[in-house]
Amino acid sequence: MNIELLTLAEVENISGSEGNFKVTVRQKPRIIDMEKCIACNLCAEKCPKKVPDEYNEGLVPRKSAYIKYGQTVPLKYAIEKETCIFFVKGGNKGQKGKGKCRACEKYCPAEAIDLDQDFQDEVKDINVGSIILTPGFKSFDPSSFDTYQYSNFKDVVTGLEYERLLSSNGPCMGHLVRPSDGKEPKKIAWLQCVGSRNINKCDNGYCSSVCCMYAIKQAIVTAEHTTGDVEQTIFYMDIRTHGKDFDNYFGLAKALGIKFVNTRVHSTTPGPNGGVEVEYFNEETGQRVVEEFDMLVLSTGLEVSKSVQELAGKLNIKLDKYKFAESSSFSPSATNVPGIFASGCFQAPKDIPQSVTDASAAAASASIALSTQRGTLAKERTFPPEKDVTGEEPRVGVFVCSCGINIAGTIDVKALSEYAQSLPNVVFVDNNLFSCSQDTQVMIKEKIAEHNMNRVVVAACTPRTHEPLFRETMKDAGLNEYLFEMANIRNQNSWVHSKEPEKAFEKAKDQLRMAVVKASMLSPLEHLSVNVNQSALVVGGGVSGMIAALGLADQGYETILLEKTDRLGGNAWSLATTWRGEEIKPFLEDLISKVENNPNIKLYKNARLKTSKGAVGDFVSEVEIEGEKRAIKYGIAVICTGGQELKPNEYLYGEDERVFTHFEFDKELLEHKPALEKAKGAVFIQCVGSREPDRPYCSRVCCTHTMHSALELKKTNPQMPVYVLYRDVRTYGAREDLYREAREKGVIFIRYRWKSKPTVVKDGEDLVVTVKDHVLNRDLEIRTSYLVLASAILPADNKDLVDLYKCGLNNDGFLQEAHAKLRPVDLSVDGMFLAGLCHYPKPIDEAIAQAQAAVSRATTILSKAVMPLDSIKSYVTDNCDGCAICVDTCPYGAISLTGYELDGVEHKKIDTNNALCKGCGICEATCPKHGVYVHGFTNEQLKAQIYAALENV
Amino acid sequence: MSQEKVGAVMVVGGGIAGIQSALDLADAGYYVYLVEKTAGIGGVMSQLDKTFPTNDCSM
Amino acid sequence: MAEKYEPVIVGFLCNWCAYAGADLAGVSRLQYPTNMRAIRVMCSGMVHPNLVVEALERGADGVLVLG
Repeated sequence: MNIELLTLAEVENISGSEGNFKVTVRQKPRIIDMEKCIACNLCAEKCPKKVPDEYNEGLVPRKSAYIKYGQTVPLKYAIEKETCIFFVKGGNKGQKGKGKCRACEKYCPAEAIDLDQDFQDEVKDINVGSIILTPGFKSFDPSSFDTYQYSNFKDVVTGLEYERLLSSNGPCMGHLVRPSDGKEPKKIAWLQCVGSRNINKCDNGYCSSVCCMYAIKQAIVTAEHTTGDVEQTIFYMDIRTHGKDFDNYFGLAKALGIKFVNTRVHSTTPGPNGGVEVEYFNEETGQRVVEEFDMLVLSTGLEVSKSVQELAGKLNIKLDKYKFAESSSFSPSATNVPGIFASGCFQAPKDIPQSVTDASAAAASASIALSTQRGTLAKERTFPPEKDVTGEEPRVGVFVCSCGINIAGTIDVKALSEYAQSLPNVVFVDNNLFSCSQDTQVMIKEKIAEHNMNRVVVAACTPRTHEPLFRETMKDAGLNEYLFEMANIRNQNSWVHSKEPEKAFEKAKDQLRMAVVKASMLSPLEHLSVNVNQSALVVGGGVSGMIAALGLADQGYETILLEKTDRLGGNAWSLATTWRGEEIKPFLEDLISKVENNPNIKLYKNARLKTSKGAVGDFVSEVEIEGEKRAIKYGIAVICTGGQELKPNEYLYGEDERVFTHFEFDKELLEHKPALEKAKGAVFIQCVGSREPDRPYCSRVCCTHTMHSALELKKTNPQMPVYVLYRDVRTYGAREDLYREAREKGVIFIRYRWKSKPTVVKDGEDLVVTVKDHVLNRDLEIRTSYLVLASAILPADNKDLVDLYKCGLNNDGFLQEAHAKLRPVDLSVDGMFLAGLCHYPKPIDEAIAQAQAAVSRATTILSKAVMPLDSIKSYVTDNCDGCAICVDTCPYGAISLTGYELDGVEHKKIDTNNALCKGCGICEATCPKHGVYVHGFTNEQLKAQIYAALENV
Repeated sequence: MSQEKVGAVMVVGGGIAGIQSALDLADAGYYVYLVEKTAGIGGVMSQLDKTFPTNDCSM
Repeated sequence: MAEKYEPVIVGFLCNWCAYAGADLAGVSRLQYPTNMRAIRVMCSGMVHPNLVVEALERGADGVLVLG
């Protein structure tokens, strides 16, 4: 309700400054009246004008009257003025062209199209305190590259085009065929890094970060979209699966038989059998290979579009050399203009979880800046007091929707209405052209009063989209909103049985009868809420924890910060600079002083969390501070318990003082720089302890760290031989520049395989590293002064936390977020969030962004004194005898066992926690005694629906 | 122009990032204008067939 | 038998996935037989085994639990 969606709109101009901007927005006319449009698709069906469908990457046409896709928001059609025949031929201006086409206007059953209006762009000034820019990316256009033949062959497609070809709502309806001849492809190749990691032509020097994963995903799901016997090959330079659980997915792809070939393809030519021939150099065999494929997918990279660059120009936003918004590691969402923040792929190429995280981080920055104005413009609806209907006989009102012709075209709605009259408890029936229209809501409200109804059934579309609307109407009419039921006679009837009207009518009768029976059994549900303790707990005083605590405290929320040691700062003390070269120590010292001096932060060092009770909004814990126990209360918690560098047990680590980890080598560089001048050389071994069976994940930061250290060595002593022994170099995003610079400066990169790891021995005084070079196919022996092990990042031991809060860990011991894509900083326990290394290895800028994101997510709870809860929860009935079978089956830990005394005898019974319960009803299905039910879905209610469904059998 | 801060935020771009920013801010007590160039929100994520790790649809 | 056998099927559809999928089938205008009567539940895990038995006893020819 507090989001105003302006579609077909662009920012034109901006004035004012931080806290008070005036933004000029130009909005194109939609032509179709959004209030009246019922998304029936008739306008698009009748529209004669075909144009390329952007949503399907132009692979198929759409009409000038269109929606972007079936589930688009808002689900309202639009007419594109630029292509519409009526408007192109002069529209309603003057005589020329007047009266042409107008098919949509004629067929629209809802009178949502009136082409005689004056349609002009609407230009409006909007006053806001902050601006967040998330204009996104565009997929790289490979048309100009003759290497890939993209323009010449239909069967060479971009990654995004392939995505559409696979999609069940795409041009092939989910059954993949190749564009040229409609045949199912049997052999498909992916070419990685198209438009990325290259500066030869007009492509981009950076790594686009996401293409390796999307190619692997596409290769894996291709099998599901074909008859199965497909051969997939991915041609790559380095496989960059550096995200959480990504390497497992890579492993799965290999296990499924998807081939990975390490090469950059030389050229592509038409094949003799109608496919595409790919010519490449096979590194394993040293041979030139020509192989034919049915289809080629170009894993095209991400870039900033021209129009977004122009937008940045209008707003004076500085862009970096790759045209992404410039940002700093320490305030990742800020732009150069105060009050304007950026997130998503406008800042750098990034994947979905990172985009979602950064979007929340930008929201936090905006929220902190405006916290004094919170709630001043947000709106809230009010409703009349609720009528008490307890004890009343059910009086059901039924409203049958025609939905224009969507329902009425298949189902005889008049006859259905008559049938409804015959059902028990029904006191009123009406048929509406559109039950969801605003005037029908007013009418429903009147009829409820007139006929003294206490239950309402609407037979129309799906409750998933329209139940909220009708529930509002119930509230408006003074009835409890849960005394409402829908019969889905459109999506699950008229639309899917349009060729069998008689059977559809019989089904509609059954659906309606089931809904009336259910409605008659509904009882009003209590509006649940929890009082929110508007204060926070942050566990862990590293950079993530401090950023989270400060972000919450700066918005006025009291925050308790627990640090287990006697010093704030954590791992950041061991790091010299960020990958961009910013010095960490001054930032860290400043951050610590801000935290220590913030009046809203209560800092406890040498502190440990001992217990936890309660749920979102109302947690109580015991903490032990320097041996002393203390009780704390808080509404939300952010977990930032961090991680640590692995101490290796191989490569002579701990046995020879010339063998270092990254942290140790940073220190060595700082303290003994002069020694570098005389050094014989340095060797870096990557993936020490990472990407191995024991620890199958990539530690994400080590490749970049190695580039940094290697460049530092070359800077001090350009003659020094520096070797990097690696498996895949994973310098994602603009970090790729460091990799390129290292190669230019003469750092030598040698790929090794996990099965033939390098060996390290002492030969006299010499430290000797031996590695098998796969290009030369022989062992190389390197004598070195320094051996740096890029060792893995381990999560902190979170076992106690997991026990306390019932949150989850992944297989690698990192805390598990609620949803990998859409809720990357929420834990599965409501009111708990996470940030930093406890989630997954990440560099400092990403940890800061994640901590800010946690602040934003936490603020959505803390900003309200009372948090409403959904009313559909489990409840205990008199039948419960405390057998406790349900306690273990509840996936949310919402059920506990309590004791009570009756006539001097101890009894047991379960207790459900409304804040934790999600209403899934697994308890209900488990209980052998009808001892626990879910409101609105009790066994009796479901049983009544079954009986109603089978009444005529 | 008055220098008083305004309790509203404009989010430019209705892809997954813009949607997330807008939802967070609206839930935190701010009025949000979500400005989208095309006829509907959802951005590129809505075009994707399925997403890692569960291979579920991205809708 | 003169008439073609038309089985009656009771379906329990999870609100978040199967029910949403059935809605989407509608949006996509996919056509399927009319034999199923859907009951919306908040999770397929909510369906008590007794309900399945009950449906069969009452004359259902099949029960689908979709989630």
